[in-house]
Amino acid sequence: MNAALTLLKKHPLLGAILIAVLLHLLGTLLIPGYSSPFSIRAMLVLAALLAVASTGQTLVILLGGIDLSIPFVIGFANVVAAQLTGQGLPFWEVAAIVAVLALLIGAVNGALSSILRIHPLIVTLGTGTVVQGLVLIWTKGFPSGSAPGFVSSFVSIGGSIGPIPVPGLIPALIVMAVALVLVLARTPYGRKLYAQGGNPTAAPFALINPVAMWIVTFALSAFFAAIAGVLLLGFTGSAYGDVGQPYLFQTIAAVVIGGTSLIGGRGSYVGTLAGAVALTEINTLLIGLGLQPSMVQAALGAIIILLVSLYGREPHLRTTI
Amino acid sequence: MTAGRLIRTLSRSGFALVLLVILLLLNVWLNPARFAPGAWGTLIGLAAPLIGAALASTPAILSGRGGIDVSIGPLMGFVNAIIIAALIGGLGLSDPWIVIPVAILMGAAIGLFNGVLASYVRIQPIVATLGTYLILTGLTVTIVPAPIGTIPDWLRTFSQGFSFVPPLAIFLIWLGIRQLPYYDQLMATGSDDRAAFTAGVNVPVVRLLSYVLTGIFGGIASLSLSALIGSADPNVGGNYTLLAISATALGGVSLAGGRGGLIGAAIGAIDIFLLQSALTFFNVSTFVLQVAYGAVLVIAVSSTALQERFFARTGK
Amino acid sequence: MADAATLKVEGVALTAAAPPFDETIAPGDVIGLAGLDGHGQDLFLECLAGLHPPATGRVVMGGKPVTSFRNAAASGIAYLPRDRRTMGIFPNMSVIDNFGIASMRKDLRTGFISMKSRRARYERLKEQLSIVAQSPDLPITGLSGGNQQKVLLARLLARDPKVLLLNDPTRGVDIATRRVLYRVFRELANEGLSLVVLSSEIEEAIGLCDRVLVFRDQHMSARLTGADKTADRVIAAMFGRAA
Repeated sequence: MNAALTLLKKHPLLGAILIAVLLHLLGTLLIPGYSSPFSIRAMLVLAALLAVASTGQTLVILLGGIDLSIPFVIGFANVVAAQLTGQGLPFWEVAAIVAVLALLIGAVNGALSSILRIHPLIVTLGTGTVVQGLVLIWTKGFPSGSAPGFVSSFVSIGGSIGPIPVPGLIPALIVMAVALVLVLARTPYGRKLYAQGGNPTAAPFALINPVAMWIVTFALSAFFAAIAGVLLLGFTGSAYGDVGQPYLFQTIAAVVIGGTSLIGGRGSYVGTLAGAVALTEINTLLIGLGLQPSMVQAALGAIIILLVSLYGREPHLRTTI
Repeated sequence: MTAGRLIRTLSRSGFALVLLVILLLLNVWLNPARFAPGAWGTLIGLAAPLIGAALASTPAILSGRGGIDVSIGPLMGFVNAIIIAALIGGLGLSDPWIVIPVAILMGAAIGLFNGVLASYVRIQPIVATLGTYLILTGLTVTIVPAPIGTIPDWLRTFSQGFSFVPPLAIFLIWLGIRQLPYYDQLMATGSDDRAAFTAGVNVPVVRLLSYVLTGIFGGIASLSLSALIGSADPNVGGNYTLLAISATALGGVSLAGGRGGLIGAAIGAIDIFLLQSALTFFNVSTFVLQVAYGAVLVIAVSSTALQERFFARTGK
Repeated sequence: MADAATLKVEGVALTAAAPPFDETIAPGDVIGLAGLDGHGQDLFLECLAGLHPPATGRVVMGGKPVTSFRNAAASGIAYLPRDRRTMGIFPNMSVIDNFGIASMRKDLRTGFISMKSRRARYERLKEQLSIVAQSPDLPITGLSGGNQQKVLLARLLARDPKVLLLNDPTRGVDIATRRVLYRVFRELANEGLSLVVLSSEIEEAIGLCDRVLVFRDQHMSARLTGADKTADRVIAAMFGRAA
């Protein structure tokens, strides 16, 4: 047992994977149809959407920051993409407009946080609120428009690509994850991200420009949030400004359950993927067991605390002196 | 508090204070009736839950190393649900000498829970209190699925003539704490926990107690909340978390810990309240209100940061 | 070519009241900085590194003024900060990551870091600096203080600098490692690098350096070379006595 705990602490990502597998076995035993093809596909799609939304949060947390604007940017992308599509713009134009705006929002977050040294929690909360308000004003609170058909089939639970019975989102996410893992491990940006997060004081001496790192990383975070927003538009079929709200805390939870430390510099994107799957399993299992949504939420809170206290503890102050 | 100290406190929340004066004048000019002395009780009652939430958030933030309690809103909602629906509605115990201690004790217990997680289990505070956030929100909705119950008359006065009582009580407790060695230990821990630890401060206990204080203040703030909404409502508490954090940031309480105090947090909260109040008068949509509130938050915090930079450079 | 590697100090004073002085640090020079803690030698070294401008005068590297840390680095100045733990190592990363972090451009092949190229560069410097590390892929925090310091030095040397500014490089380093560092410093100077070494140990400064600049009250109070470069003279200058 102790050996297992030590192993978990060394490789927290194993914890998330283990939990996901155990929960799945438990669900299969307790709930009829839990492992049915449809159910698995549904869970995969839900986990994939959460994983996309948590991508930027992973990068930002590795950097040593936190991004509370993700749900607002998700809502923003969701509504703007629907609105523009409704006005007849081709998908690629819509995507380009949404992407550029999202990158700008993120860049502002990073710039304000790093140049003025304001806690990113406050900055992203403020900009997120402004963005959401602007979208509401623009749409007068009643977003209209529609999802591009291509996106809808891309994320549809019933979708398939050729003989493989999963929608395009799943392989696309896998490709993106491989690319991101490669970027983190083998490019200057990735290495600088870990260095900046691991010791921000030492970073400038190693010729790392903190402001540039923060601007780029927060811009990426907003970019991935925007992708999640557009995907959610395809998933639900119609625009909804608050569609991102559940993701405020869920992205943080997925990252942390995946073994990435909020202090920065330690963790991995694969962990986040496992964290997203684990969270989705927990949710599905608890709902499958007949719990009310409110109790699911309460249990989720308890499980997050339990998991993090198993393998996400910080070192004692004594050891840091 | 000496005059010099007061001036320093006020200048740290400089922008927030200027904003407060401007917004207050604007509000009085726009809506004299609402701001007439006779209506102050009701007015303060409207602002009291937010002020209370902001004050409550402060001790945990002051303790540093990522200290924060995001469960403060749900805590207020949970205490509200228990005292109105269970204690007053279910058991018929509506005596203030029972209700008030129960509210405070519940707050303290939740704060203790958060404190143990943050301080001894050593989970990052934002994650620990996020867990608590989810637990409390879930429990509240389970206990009280929809708004229910009424409040006794004495509690109703907390939204009218005696609306100043809960925030004042928090301030008085804080004033007492400032006389204790604990206050210095808290600020030392918040600004540099390693140095404090080396100097012999029991950092884990100091941190733990800061969360307990946050919980106690949250319990008191929930009295203001209950008085204002007049029932047990599962849906209002959660909103206060982000508002309270914004208010503390506006008021110059540094999320890095060890800097700021309750006066700043209160000023920040009043700013947000007055802003809402003024914009509501213009009958603008809540959308505009939201943009304005977000923009003011960013601008205020940015200008405070710029101002501090300027002072740091000129060495004043 | 020699000129491009010469670091010149022109009329520099650390405070407006201090008398300005000139200094030319040519390739192969080893300059020592001494003084009681906080008497200006730190500040002077940081001015050379471009971390902040001097009160008057300017620092010129290869004919171009040093205006910022980045521009100093680009012109071949490498700076080793004093506090290894807070300003040096990345405790979350491996030995080889810590080594390569400031010179990744050299390993880039079509946008990605070539592990092979990085490893080869590391092995060369590992040899030169006698770094003792089990595996370059283990966390740097597993190394002894002296070996961490050598990795940080390797990080600087990997950038092929012309001038090395070392802020108390032997602080908290064991005797064996110190000997290695002294040997390496001499070798580097013989290869044509110039070194400016701030040292809190007088014997070290005297033994290692061709000239020692002593700082007192935020100004350069003595420049000691040759036969003048004795412990007594350094101490006298540190305390402001004539000797």
